[in-house]
Amino acid sequence: MIESGYFDKYSPINGVWDEMYGADAAVRDHYRKVIDYISGESADDLNKKEELAKRLFMSQGITFTVYNSGEGIEKIFPFDIIPRIITADEWAFVERGIKQRLTALNLFLKDVYHNQFIIKDGIVPIDIIYSCPHFLREMYQLQVPYDIYVHISGIDIIRDYDGTFYVLEDNLRTPSGVSYMLENREITKRLFPDLLPQCGVRSVTEYPTILYKNLLALSPRQISNPTIVLLSPGIYNSAYFEHTTLARLMGVELVEGRDLVVNNHKVFMKTTTGLQQVDVIYRRVDDEYLDPLVFNPSSMLGVAGIMGAYRKGNVAIVNAIGTGVADDKAVYVYVPEMIKYYLNEEPILKNVPTHQLGNPDERAHVFKNINTMVIKKTNGSGGYGMLMGHASTEQEIEEYKLAVLKDPRNFIAQPTISLSAAPCYMQGELQPRRIDLRPYALYGPDGIEIVPGGLTRVALKEGSLVVNSSQGGGSKDTWVLA
Amino acid sequence: MLSRVAASFYWLSRYIERSDGMLRMLKINYASSQDTIQEFTWAPVIRIFAGVGDEEEAGKLDNNSRAVLKYMVTGKNNPNSILNIITLSRENARGVQEHIPKDLWQCLNEYYHTVKDPKIEKSLQREDPIGVLDVLIKQVMLYYGTAEITMERGEGRSFMNIGKYLERAIQSVDILDTKFGSVSDNPDLLTDTSYWKHLLLSLGGYELYLKTYREGFEASNILEQVVLNNDFPRSVIYSVNNIQRYFDRLKNNSNADDFRELSFQIGRLQSRIKYSSVKSIEQDGLHQYLQQIRKELYGIGNALNQHYFANS
Repeated sequence: MIESGYFDKYSPINGVWDEMYGADAAVRDHYRKVIDYISGESADDLNKKEELAKRLFMSQGITFTVYNSGEGIEKIFPFDIIPRIITADEWAFVERGIKQRLTALNLFLKDVYHNQFIIKDGIVPIDIIYSCPHFLREMYQLQVPYDIYVHISGIDIIRDYDGTFYVLEDNLRTPSGVSYMLENREITKRLFPDLLPQCGVRSVTEYPTILYKNLLALSPRQISNPTIVLLSPGIYNSAYFEHTTLARLMGVELVEGRDLVVNNHKVFMKTTTGLQQVDVIYRRVDDEYLDPLVFNPSSMLGVAGIMGAYRKGNVAIVNAIGTGVADDKAVYVYVPEMIKYYLNEEPILKNVPTHQLGNPDERAHVFKNINTMVIKKTNGSGGYGMLMGHASTEQEIEEYKLAVLKDPRNFIAQPTISLSAAPCYMQGELQPRRIDLRPYALYGPDGIEIVPGGLTRVALKEGSLVVNSSQGGGSKDTWVLA
Repeated sequence: MLSRVAASFYWLSRYIERSDGMLRMLKINYASSQDTIQEFTWAPVIRIFAGVGDEEEAGKLDNNSRAVLKYMVTGKNNPNSILNIITLSRENARGVQEHIPKDLWQCLNEYYHTVKDPKIEKSLQREDPIGVLDVLIKQVMLYYGTAEITMERGEGRSFMNIGKYLERAIQSVDILDTKFGSVSDNPDLLTDTSYWKHLLLSLGGYELYLKTYREGFEASNILEQVVLNNDFPRSVIYSVNNIQRYFDRLKNNSNADDFRELSFQIGRLQSRIKYSSVKSIEQDGLHQYLQQIRKELYGIGNALNQHYFANS
């Protein structure tokens, strides 16, 4: 079998699942066409493609902002031109797994904010729920449309050394990155003409249409053209580009907190023709900042009184308020139990084994084996504030231990999972880099729909296991084959 | 249209127009400073364009042309420097990105990056400042051309144009008031040809003046052109007519009461200017006349704020 020059030089990482490189030292079938295609290109051509990709991102202003010492710096999210490919079977498995998990999580949210059977039946300990900062008493007994809490989720999925899929975390609040899923695909169309249809890659363009359809269905007023808005924190938010993209693709108004006002338990937006009632809000503002009368009183991003309008059912808010209790990392531990409890099914997607540091025995075990552990805050995100045991100095570890001991409930530990690797184009050759996968699931009155694709994040630094954009991560286009 | 979006259109456009007026003023004044044996004074320019409460800071500039240019163009501490107002203009545009054509956004973005480039500050200090100012003036012209060609003929453009002409009218009034004010302090200027020539040049009205008037530079003729000549694009009457024109287009998208209120104010100002002559202005006193117009222009700005931008 003749392989290309690029593939010959490719050396997979030992003991790591490689998406492209099979056990028999050959290209896996689903990568074959792509490898053949790039084999026909010189390094020069590929460099040109890389340049083109960068230029396209820059000129369209697809940037995010990193805040460093008070000054915002606009950066492009690094993009690797080689797509990450998922077979139809793998996708079918992941899709089933996410649907099951999301159904259970949504039932859990309804339960903890109403009858709390799961607590009474002793499946999830009460203190885990009530000590979670994202558990909001304001949501207690509040009826949300169709009992849907998590309209949009971005569950992070990883693969271990043997290719098994695991759920790393459930992002159920305001997951971001979906605009990159859409933009990456647009750019790949330009980079590899004709390759997408040849390989039979499923389209992701339906995402905004499905989301819009779901938002429309939530309108509390039964009228022909309800007003739907996307609530953004404003131009200084790092995801502002995504907010404008989604608003444009759905044709809805992009608003900021100061554009909205609540009168008589109804939400209105201020327009040049006066006040116009708002029916559905897709908010990209965190719970804490949503209503200064109820949550953080110093918030300038929210709308005073919006919680009252929500409680009265005069406005639908997407995602529902208070969903953070279900993606808390201490609650994560109980998700497999939840699936059994609510659905009477075995979990399809596995959890990463997780130790709660609130438990003294587990804490002792983790501290003893700290070199093989990753410790995270239960409510952290963006890869901030975590400790990678194998890559930290002794002093860092000691300092981190002290932080843990101050408030053990807020920390969990997981064994270091050696994320799967995929080929990336680096300085004229293919090199393996670690990746994860974030598919976006949309939960509407018609059920859960997942566009075939998602955001594949990649740790561009050699040997790194952190894929977050704020920590030197990049992304790839994600192909799901038909 | 969202009130915030309308306000952003209005302000992004006002700032651009302001930068245009400032750049032209700076260019002509710098040229004029190279062309005089007496001590040249930057005081009127600073009075017209420096931000409120900055007199003290501006006073330290001491008529040093380079220092004044630096303060007015790239001055970080001058809230009204080109750098700062273009930053504000761009921020307004960024907040309404999904409402403006991509070309226009890129144009404004480029203008911003040009002013921000450290090379500009360096060249202003070391090289020919006129060249630098020309580079920036070109950016403004590029912006206006792009806006003309790409901007959809809707509500947004009306708010942009109202902002543009309101800013222009205010500038012309301020410039006249300052320049004629200096004359009453120093009557010698009345017969100083270069004084009037520079005034006309900085407003871009020199050539029109030569074509219209044969008898050399007369204060009353200049007054007529800058206030009352409807063919002069920087005249007060031309600007106010355009405010009225673009405001009228909002009629179908407005709340009737709000529209009536503003329409009344604009119409009243329009009549006040239309039915005055050089003679009647001189009888009333030029300063009082200009102050009254200024007050009404600000009144229109405030009414927009209250009735359309929801900032009461």
